[in-house]
Amino acid sequence: MSIRSHLQRTAAAIAASLLLTLPLHASERTLDSAYGPLTLSGTPQRVVALGDSALDAALSLGVQPVGTLASRGGDDVPDYLKAKAGKITLVGSVREPNLEAILRLQPDLVLASNDLPRELYAKLSLMAPTVVPKGNSFQNWRDTYLTYAQALGKSEEGQQRIAEIDARSAQLRQRLPQGQQVSVVRWNPQGPVIMSSHLFVGQLLADLGLQANELAAAQAQKPHSDVLSLENLSRINADWIFLATLNPDGRKALEDARKQTAFTRLKAVADERVVTVDGQIWSSSSGYLAAQQVLDDVEKALLD
Amino acid sequence: MPARLSVPQAMGMAALCLALLCLASLLLGAGDIGILPSLQALLGSSDDDARFIVFELRWVRTELAVLVGVALGAAGVLLQAVTRNPLAEPGLLGVSAGASFAVVLAINLGASAASLHLGVAMLGALVGCVLVLLVTRMRGVGDDPVRLVLAGAAFSGMLGALSSLLLLWDQRTADEMRFWVIGALAGRPLDTLEWSLPGLIGGLSMALLVVRPLAALALGERVASGLGHHPQLTRLGTLLAVAILVGTATAAAGPIAFIGLIVPYIARRLVGSDIRRTLGLSMLLGPSVLLLADVISRLLVRPYELPVGVVAAFVGAPILIAVVRQHRLPTL
Repeated sequence: MSIRSHLQRTAAAIAASLLLTLPLHASERTLDSAYGPLTLSGTPQRVVALGDSALDAALSLGVQPVGTLASRGGDDVPDYLKAKAGKITLVGSVREPNLEAILRLQPDLVLASNDLPRELYAKLSLMAPTVVPKGNSFQNWRDTYLTYAQALGKSEEGQQRIAEIDARSAQLRQRLPQGQQVSVVRWNPQGPVIMSSHLFVGQLLADLGLQANELAAAQAQKPHSDVLSLENLSRINADWIFLATLNPDGRKALEDARKQTAFTRLKAVADERVVTVDGQIWSSSSGYLAAQQVLDDVEKALLD
Repeated sequence: MPARLSVPQAMGMAALCLALLCLASLLLGAGDIGILPSLQALLGSSDDDARFIVFELRWVRTELAVLVGVALGAAGVLLQAVTRNPLAEPGLLGVSAGASFAVVLAINLGASAASLHLGVAMLGALVGCVLVLLVTRMRGVGDDPVRLVLAGAAFSGMLGALSSLLLLWDQRTADEMRFWVIGALAGRPLDTLEWSLPGLIGGLSMALLVVRPLAALALGERVASGLGHHPQLTRLGTLLAVAILVGTATAAAGPIAFIGLIVPYIARRLVGSDIRRTLGLSMLLGPSVLLLADVISRLLVRPYELPVGVVAAFVGAPILIAVVRQHRLPTL
């Protein structure tokens, strides 16, 4: 059965998506994607968001995707998006999107993450127009967000959302103490890794006038450092340390870290300036909703 | 026959080697504290950072490496003797895989307390070992060592696959679990030593009980029975000792391959194949090889570190090849 019926289903899906895109709306738009320019039209009805950033963008613009992936380090939608996402079909994990599950949802638009491999892109494009934003996770997060917004036919709303974040961080920057240094750290059993300051959260923190610590700034190629030797733990030190954990129980990670005398010797720890934050937001997502949460976290930590 | 050393000579050399490596382990690290400040700290200088790094970090780590190395060295030599198979290593008898799997499963089910790991790993090692024994008995094949190793290999493969499966399913704890796939000595909870020491002592006591009957068994079942030893009981006791030792080592530092395989080779090369001569020597050589691997793991990618489990294989393979190439190997 399989190959033939599979082909039939694929053909049916292509036909269906062609039918859906045939009536040309006025809102025809061409956007620049990682795999070349892409022309879209109409308002997509059945969006599949592959990745937290895509899901964040869609939800923040009032679009309810029909399917998404389990987030990195979890087996469900990331916690911070769960309420907004409501009932949504999971179509695999970040590591392995399930093509058949995606096909079954009959999407008319696929929002993929910027690291989607070409082979996967080719297959997804047979099912529905597939948007892969340019760049990688070091890209300005606004570009990625706006690409998704454009694909959804909501460029204007997207610009507004970005403006909201920029206004809020400019306003918050006024209230924050100046010249403070921050580091974002993930604690592994073998030791800590420091997150690069050039990713989404690092960009936001820079907008707030917070300085990245030296080691974080040096991570220009990789999203985070290798496991740091405990002997060099002082290199994660900063005025404030944000401890990101991929499981929701941040307290446990902090307890684990506190068991290491090398950690408790750090000045930020002695000053009780270690803040546990949701790693799904702080180390693997990006977008409007994530940005609001990061700003909330910083405001709460540094101003309360 | 290659020229061999007397046992005291070999033990003396190995002890010197171990002492030097312990010193190296205290003086060298991935941090900015170099050899000289470390030495000064050891001799009682008051530089706070250096003292902290030498005594709180490197000292604890060295102790742990010695403990794990002794356990793995002894377990390796026991296992090769009891199976009469020079390829036997704890990894091949379902012991390491059982210990790892048990811990992965426990974490998967929600456990996280570091202290839990030791008991769980030891239980897993025992269960893995007992299951392998049961499999070999199922069709009344008795204690055929070849079947034992084959069953162990099959079982390890299966448990390893199950561990990987759990890791794939539960990405939440992937960071924590990665440790249970590749062993490491750094950053273990402080109470790891207290927990592991009784396990090591228990395992070694057990080993001392069986070492005589084991040596007799090397001459053949009939001879051993004739000398008043009970072959089945001896095998069971030995496997129990191996399970305790490997369970302890795995709980303390995660699965570390290769040490249990190469150390008995070096020991036999030095003093011959009698287990009464190799057991003690292996307990000095095990920590030496592990410390060497650990020191290298700190220096290769400064300021970061590699897990020692990765480096152990890199260090172990050339040593083994050198030993194999040098002379005709003493057989078991």
